[in-house]
Amino acid sequence: MPVAHQPPRRSFLLRPAALGLAALAFGGIQPALAQAPRAYATLAMVAEPQTLDPMASTADLVGTIMQHVYEPLYTFDAKWNVVPMLAETLPKVSADGKSYSITLRKGVMLHSGRELNADDVVASLQRWMDTSPRGKAVGKELDSIKAKGPLGVEIVLKNPYAPLAAQLALPSGMAAIMAKESIAQPLKDFVGTGPYKFKERRPDQYVLLTRFDKYSARKEPANGYGGRREALIEELRFVPVPNANTRVEGSLAGQYDYADLLPVEALSRLEKSGGKTVPILTPSFGFPYLVLNTKEGVAANQAIRQAIQIAIGPGEMLAAGFGDTRFFIAEGNHFPKGSPYYSTAGADKYNERNAAKAKAAAEKAGYKGEPIRVLTSRQYDFHYNMALLMAEQLKRAGFKPELNVVDWATLVQRRNDSKLWDIYITHSGQFPEPMLSPPQLGDGAPGWWGTPTKQEALAAFNREADPVKRGALWGKVQQIVYDEVPYINVGKFNGLSAKSPALDNYVPATWPFFWNARIK
Amino acid sequence: MYRYLASRLAGMLAVLAIVAVIVFVLTRAASGDPISVLLGDQATAEDIARVQKDYGLDKPLPVQFAYWVREVLQGNLGQSIFLQRPVTQALWERAEPTTLLALMAVGLAALIGIPCGIVSAVYRGRAVDQVFTGVAMLGASIPSFWFGIVLIQLFAVSLGWFPASGYGAPGAPLAERLHALVLPASVLGILNSALIIRFTRASMLDVLGEDYVRTARSKGLPESSVVLKHALRNALVPIVTVLGLTVALMIGGAVVTETVFGLPGVGNLVVNAVLRRDYPVIQGALLVIAAIYVLINFSIDLLYVAVDPRVKL
Repeated sequence: MPVAHQPPRRSFLLRPAALGLAALAFGGIQPALAQAPRAYATLAMVAEPQTLDPMASTADLVGTIMQHVYEPLYTFDAKWNVVPMLAETLPKVSADGKSYSITLRKGVMLHSGRELNADDVVASLQRWMDTSPRGKAVGKELDSIKAKGPLGVEIVLKNPYAPLAAQLALPSGMAAIMAKESIAQPLKDFVGTGPYKFKERRPDQYVLLTRFDKYSARKEPANGYGGRREALIEELRFVPVPNANTRVEGSLAGQYDYADLLPVEALSRLEKSGGKTVPILTPSFGFPYLVLNTKEGVAANQAIRQAIQIAIGPGEMLAAGFGDTRFFIAEGNHFPKGSPYYSTAGADKYNERNAAKAKAAAEKAGYKGEPIRVLTSRQYDFHYNMALLMAEQLKRAGFKPELNVVDWATLVQRRNDSKLWDIYITHSGQFPEPMLSPPQLGDGAPGWWGTPTKQEALAAFNREADPVKRGALWGKVQQIVYDEVPYINVGKFNGLSAKSPALDNYVPATWPFFWNARIK
Repeated sequence: MYRYLASRLAGMLAVLAIVAVIVFVLTRAASGDPISVLLGDQATAEDIARVQKDYGLDKPLPVQFAYWVREVLQGNLGQSIFLQRPVTQALWERAEPTTLLALMAVGLAALIGIPCGIVSAVYRGRAVDQVFTGVAMLGASIPSFWFGIVLIQLFAVSLGWFPASGYGAPGAPLAERLHALVLPASVLGILNSALIIRFTRASMLDVLGEDYVRTARSKGLPESSVVLKHALRNALVPIVTVLGLTVALMIGGAVVTETVFGLPGVGNLVVNAVLRRDYPVIQGALLVIAAIYVLINFSIDLLYVAVDPRVKL
């Protein structure tokens, strides 16, 4: 050990150290923000978009951004009615329900400066049916699609298929209308008709959209996604901010004009922000659901699936997932009150949480203690928290749950293999038309539900064009979902986002849009 | 000298070849699949198989590996599945924030760590040493995401001096981009200075006990000259090593800080690529990071010569 020495003057040493520390305290440079009306809005999104091709992915983020660039033939108004967008009016449907004739609005300009015509629409829809997962399902119903003159399009179906207009209207996996000559695989130029055109993408930094000056707006007043659209903000800047806490802090700091999907715990802080940010609650934003494997493994036995449904308590699961009752609704109707599809059919089987009854039912069904493999991920905290609680509920009823916690990329791969799981957890946006989600109502989705009862009830539902009658027919489908348990709709959750006080005339929506909004 | 350089170069190439194989095998051995992520929740198994074919992911692994190696040898790291651009371009776009962040953070760490370490060593066992050592322990134990959020709350939300996240507005001048890096660089710099304090202190203590230091003192040299000239220069070799390795670690390793501050850096790129299984990006980025590591190590060895004339190559 060296001897401790005591040199006489050492204070010189403290000076540079103090200087080093003082260097930390610099700052105080005021950023050049907060000047008079800005020409742009900064919009903090949850991630970098998977792609900018609106057909290639059903991810909500892709639809949210690209609905400003591309427009569909139809869209939804504030009450989820289908209304025309690029089409002049709603389609004229033949008496047998098989032929749809569509007339385009005249004088709609593409971002390339050319006028939109029927050939663009036919080519776009063709691409949608070839590449988009949702489009392919629609394509199976289709006999032909043809241009009739410069502005007319005729779609002929094999059988009546009532959800057609809603399918063409949905912003996710969008049936986007694009300039025919821009169509390529993968898409390189984004030539649409929307109020904004694509300017630049720098991955993990921003996607810039800028006002399209020759946009041809509809004449009707704005209503939901429908009616008049006007780009009042010159440039939209979609910025990926994947860390949810950073989105909250950035909102509180006044850095963003809009911050998407914030953690519900942040509400009280946002409310107390002193006017720097305004929280926005979107009711019935989406629903978590459990998919059961009807093809292989222990849940392939319908009686066991019914026993599982008796065992679990979605009310408790929602509380575990979302905490505050302001953020979820535990109800058995798959569609909220006010929707044409509101029905309580089968809802007596919702939220039973009866361990003894479930145990008896499982024994009767021949359950012998096989593990119930639950596939879940921590990509979304509420998935994982709900899975933990569900596992306890299943244990209480004598089941042997086995939690398989994987990352999202693994989950979406494994669920395609029927040998690997019995239940998986996911969620979906609350859409206006039952056929839009969950995909288990269609064919071939994981879970592989395809009983004759399902096919029959859905065929009747899809053939019926009258909205009132369709409501009643949906009740029958919902009853079958409760009887056969291909999936369990856990309930509804509300979405939390925030906007700056400067962002004016913003209308909350499932896929947030920023036309008609302005910066004060 | 030339023999030394040649053998080091051969060693570097061997390391990179091994990294290439390991990275390829590990990315493919992990479960998950980029196409299921790309296509979204409603895609069927059929859609996924079709797009996998488009990207050549249906081919046997040895074939995919051979393709990749052939591309890499031509200086092409492949095409990202998600970003719609070549991996080299994606890396190049992220090089600036990551490099500036690493340099600012290491500069700050050195600015804090070296003086504090010297003071700690000279005043060994005294109150100031206890304080610095304690602070260093604390710094080494604080998680960076927490410290990042605290700094954001203080300097972005309450005081409004710095942006909470991001790398400046689109087309921002360098000054604005550097301004956006101050908070993240402070997080990394302050937390990493802990290590520098410990190393500087230990290294200085070794040297201060040497005979030549006593000789210097006995010659009546001023204490500043003894400590800064005679002791510090000899104590620098391990400190330079640690600083160099810290720079290397931050290129691709500042993941948590980059995520918290929403910085479009290399770490963020790699993490997103892993979460989405963007194989070409994972492979390309890791290979480049490994190459940078190897080069920095090599440069540190060369720096020894400058710092310590006794070292001969």
